[in-house]
Amino acid sequence: MTNWTDLQSCRFIEASARERAIGLVDEGSFTELAGPFDRVTSPHLKLLGDAVAFDDGIVTGVGQIGRTPVFVISQEGRFIGGSVGEIGGAKMVNTIKLAIDFHDELVAKFADLDEEEKPMVVISFETGGVRLHEANAGLLAHAEVMDQLQKARGKVPVIALIGSKVGAFGGMGFVAAATDVIIMSEFGRLGLTGPEVIEQEMGKEEFDASDRALVFRTTGGRHKYIMGDANFLVENSIAAFREQVSALTGLSIEAFEEMRRIGSSAKVKAQLRAVALAAQMQPGDATEVWSHAGNTDAWGLIDLPLSDFLARVERLSV
Amino acid sequence: MTNDDKRNSWRKRAADTAARKEAAAPLFVKGKEVLAKDTVALLEAVIRPFDIVNIEGNNQKQADFLADCLNKVDRGKIHDLHMVQSAVPLPAHLDLFENGIAKKLDFAFGGPQAGRVAKFIENGKIELGAIHTYLELFGRYFLDLTPRVSLVCAYKADRKGNLYTGFNTEDTPAIVEATKFREGIVIAQVNEIVDELPRVDIPGDWVDAVIQSPKPFFIEPLFTRDPALVTDSQILLAMLCLKGIYAEYGVTSMNHGIGFLTSAIELILPTYGLELGLKGKCCTHMILNPHPTMIPAIEEGWVDTIHCFGGELGMEDYVASRPDIFFVGPDGSLRSNRAFAQTAGHYAIDMFIGGTLQIDKYGNSSTATAGRVAGFGGAPNMGCDAKGRRHPTDAWLKCGQELPSLERDIGNIPRGKRLVVQGVETFGEGRKPVFVEELDAWKLAKSANLPIPPVMIYGDDLTHIVTEDGIAYLNRCKDMEARMAAIRAVAGFTEIGLAAKPEETRALREAGIVKTPADLGVDPNRATRDLLAAKSMRDLVTWSGGLYNPPARFRNW
Repeated sequence: MTNWTDLQSCRFIEASARERAIGLVDEGSFTELAGPFDRVTSPHLKLLGDAVAFDDGIVTGVGQIGRTPVFVISQEGRFIGGSVGEIGGAKMVNTIKLAIDFHDELVAKFADLDEEEKPMVVISFETGGVRLHEANAGLLAHAEVMDQLQKARGKVPVIALIGSKVGAFGGMGFVAAATDVIIMSEFGRLGLTGPEVIEQEMGKEEFDASDRALVFRTTGGRHKYIMGDANFLVENSIAAFREQVSALTGLSIEAFEEMRRIGSSAKVKAQLRAVALAAQMQPGDATEVWSHAGNTDAWGLIDLPLSDFLARVERLSV
Repeated sequence: MTNDDKRNSWRKRAADTAARKEAAAPLFVKGKEVLAKDTVALLEAVIRPFDIVNIEGNNQKQADFLADCLNKVDRGKIHDLHMVQSAVPLPAHLDLFENGIAKKLDFAFGGPQAGRVAKFIENGKIELGAIHTYLELFGRYFLDLTPRVSLVCAYKADRKGNLYTGFNTEDTPAIVEATKFREGIVIAQVNEIVDELPRVDIPGDWVDAVIQSPKPFFIEPLFTRDPALVTDSQILLAMLCLKGIYAEYGVTSMNHGIGFLTSAIELILPTYGLELGLKGKCCTHMILNPHPTMIPAIEEGWVDTIHCFGGELGMEDYVASRPDIFFVGPDGSLRSNRAFAQTAGHYAIDMFIGGTLQIDKYGNSSTATAGRVAGFGGAPNMGCDAKGRRHPTDAWLKCGQELPSLERDIGNIPRGKRLVVQGVETFGEGRKPVFVEELDAWKLAKSANLPIPPVMIYGDDLTHIVTEDGIAYLNRCKDMEARMAAIRAVAGFTEIGLAAKPEETRALREAGIVKTPADLGVDPNRATRDLLAAKSMRDLVTWSGGLYNPPARFRNW
């Protein structure tokens, strides 16, 4: 395993789930829970005669950033596309639950607790959603994760990191959307129905999944940042994601609530205004919406170095 | 017989051509321009049954509109054509045989249509002339397969018929030269008819008609490899190649085949290659399409010249901005030329390196699989020892000097040998073993009634095999027994590899005929993506200073 210092400069998109988990928190602070040595593996894959992974493709554990306890969930795209089944889902659920329980315990014990000392959850997504091999159990796992997110609400902030190869699609796209903060890199992708599935269902004329540029204009980090679906857009390194998470430690729970894209009647109204805008514009391409947001050279935004992009871009407000 | 009669009896081709052009005369609107809607009528006017016809089907650019139009002709008027063309990658190329318009085919590369080619040969829809290499086919254009009518492809034309083929000149000059100077008819589809061309690649009086096609011709970015997909094991192979072959022989001139191994080599030149001290000593002169993965090495000053078979989508501006390296015209844009690049690839370069799907226990290799007649394009001409070669270079001489059989064959006369290298993982795509008892080419030969199994590189031309187990220096083997043992030694856990005897392999290692990564001093733990000078398409754009403009399907941002 590469040492922590080397991990910092490691490209986020290429980093394994474990490398991300270790590198995102302070050096030497990560403790893996239900790790590969515990060999909690999927019972469904075994029945189907498929290979299992000793961590079921999800790394869970706890570490700290400064004084903040950070519960980490990190998905591995190289194992069945990062798909979430019964075991991986249970690991996610229980990690969030641990954070909530720990929060309640701390608050009960220490009345004068700093915000900085309260736990947070970080989920590094790399998944296409439900593992089809274990469909019902996988779907149920998604629902249980959503349930935990609701329980964490107002207590433990949940931060989504999206910058890995597979992106965050399918049911896990919903889960990501239900977190408090989304941090993406320009190579991250967020959506519900994946590009290949759209093409398969609606035809190549509707959406050409082999046109990677189109895929990224529609689901990629830059687009999501302009649309307000992602709160922050950072460079493609573990260090950059870590710094952005670190900057969020110590914020009040109200500040996190404010960063949510959904979850209050005001936010729902804003989302409805975005839907109305889409219905009115009928955009043929994402760049038309970027232009509408006030970007005069929308196509030019695509190739700008990230720092120039962030300095120049106008984000959509509805 | 009068003198005039005599003269005419020697001018039948000219008279026939004149008659065909006469029939087409009403279709011309201005100069040599014919409207797209009249294309089928034009083809019906100038093509006769049993003609030898070429549709420019290259490795990359395709005269797709003309191919579609040829499918629409009245097959009562036009039938039994004999198609001669480099590649048949478009459905339309095969539809001609389905529709009964064409009967016989001579070609070099089948690409995506390889399955249909096999089926059509089997059920008699195609009468196969032969599967050639590009150079053989070009040669036959000037021998017995001269096209009567050629349907070619260019970016731009003027109304005098001058063509601009620019970045993707590819096969056009060879086709037009053979056709026109044997009084044939040349029809060009172009993306645009303009008043002034950037430069003239084909002179107007060699072209009979130009047609602006309804949409730009199809072109395939065949040589773009996304660095994000290069694996650690490909990087290990690349390290072995650089240390055990490039450095060992001091190879300056070469062709890199298509595939991820050669991309990996290109991407570690500025890192591992530099560490080995190879800059300026290796890879200075290359015959290659403008591979995007070459950008870091070019930017770091490794390369003196690159001549190209064809272009590569997205590399236009980069190439135009590096005219010291590439062959460009007075207008500043690349001029590729498959015939000349293949000639250089056959005679001038010291090494060909590439991959394959199968290698048999004797060292013969092929990408042919049962049910697909794909052909090998230009690989066999580069992946062989050109026996007509006479100029010496250090790498060529050293490779020849190592041949224990040299003295037996030609006594005490020194002679070199081309390095022909196949780099493969012992298990390839779909976990299929690369090393096999018998090539699938045998099965294909049977099912498609081919007179010989299609072999890409023959065993006696192959000098080196590189796998994750190490390098087999086949040129150092004294006989077939030794060669087969060397192949077994690097064949991993395939059936062939499991037959290796440890004591035999030890002896081969001591003799320097087989070298493992440890023997070469290559640490497999270092074989990680960290060695890649560029790890993503975006990195290549950055290396190029923004000049490389990847096609949409490769833009991962």
